[in-house]
Amino acid sequence: MHKYVRMMVFVALLGTVSGGLLFGTGALTNSLIQANADALLKSEILTAHQVSFTFTNIHDVFAENTTIIEEEAEYEGDPYTFTFYQDNTNGYITFGFGPTFGGGVWGPIIGLLSLEDDWTTIRRIAVLQQEETPGLGGIVATRAYLDTFNGKTIGLNDGAIEIIKDLDMTAAEANQVASIVGATRTSSSFNQILNNAYAAYRAVWEAR
Amino acid sequence: MKKFFTRLNYTKSFNVLKRGLWFENQVAIAVLGICSSLAITNKVENAIAMGLGVTFVVMASSALIALIRNFIPSQVRMVTYMVIISTFVIVVQMFLKAYFPTLANQLGAYVGLIITNCIVMGRAEAFAVKNPVKYALVDGFASGMGYMLVLIAASTIREVLAFGTFLNIPVMGEGWVPWTIMTLAPGGFFVISLFVWFIRERQQFQEGNQ
Repeated sequence: MHKYVRMMVFVALLGTVSGGLLFGTGALTNSLIQANADALLKSEILTAHQVSFTFTNIHDVFAENTTIIEEEAEYEGDPYTFTFYQDNTNGYITFGFGPTFGGGVWGPIIGLLSLEDDWTTIRRIAVLQQEETPGLGGIVATRAYLDTFNGKTIGLNDGAIEIIKDLDMTAAEANQVASIVGATRTSSSFNQILNNAYAAYRAVWEAR
Repeated sequence: MKKFFTRLNYTKSFNVLKRGLWFENQVAIAVLGICSSLAITNKVENAIAMGLGVTFVVMASSALIALIRNFIPSQVRMVTYMVIISTFVIVVQMFLKAYFPTLANQLGAYVGLIITNCIVMGRAEAFAVKNPVKYALVDGFASGMGYMLVLIAASTIREVLAFGTFLNIPVMGEGWVPWTIMTLAPGGFFVISLFVWFIRERQQFQEGNQ
């Protein structure tokens, strides 16, 4: 009996200490993690919109140069808030993509798609969060891979972006990008996410 | 100098270090941590990041388990290890995200993956729970470094053949045709198996000579 009481006391103590430690660390770091995420989002948007900033003035520069437009609409039957970030000078548009528009192989791929004001030319893509296989699908978040989308075109139906395996770069169309070597499933998931997000955001933008 | 090395050879810490790095290498001899080894050895930078992360967590969790080893009821010891290891990993993850967001972003899923690494649990059960803190720390360091050495060796071969680079620096010239198989898990199987074979053969040779 004594043995079981000792065990239960130990488990209760262990749970309390580890829970307390996690709670305390969370309380200490949550606001910083949130602030870092906010700064990262703003820095990616400002970079895509070609606005210079430093990490000391990022919030002021963002507020000065960017208009946030929020539209309530439905996506596949569920209510969804579509958030657009538009540059006040050049009209460039950025919006987010995430699990609502499709998932990666191991988890959500969350990021930003920035377009010129023609809604066709891709300015920049940023992946802020992903859980793909490190070194393979994880390449989807690298700047070197994402920069291959810059200047490509995206549209509806036939004009949708196409991520193609073993693409001959000399014969690539304006809407075609090479897939990641060894990560076919991540490439096709990313392709689907981009096209779904684009179609949904464009429909909401045009319906305003 | 010779006297110093002879004396060093008879210290427990040195023997623990030697065993962890080579004679009981966790990947090559104990065949632990294979899942993460296959997944992340396609780039040397991944191997270094994962190796350092695992080394820190093995050292910290082994030290804590060794510290409270006399209070852990045997019936719940595995659960205790899991709780301690998970807590450590999550705390590290939170601190990295808060204070070193760039590094946290580069490490991505690796930090979370450390929880599932069999080496951490293996060292807790095989060593830390039976030894004092100072030896548990040395054992954690040696096991983590032994793991990292195999990872770096395997990832060097894979990265050079798969991407023609070493630490993202091109080393194979422009005409290099990448070996796609080396980016995939089967490539990891081939290379890690070769290392397991090499290290075991080498050890048998050494034992034969003795």
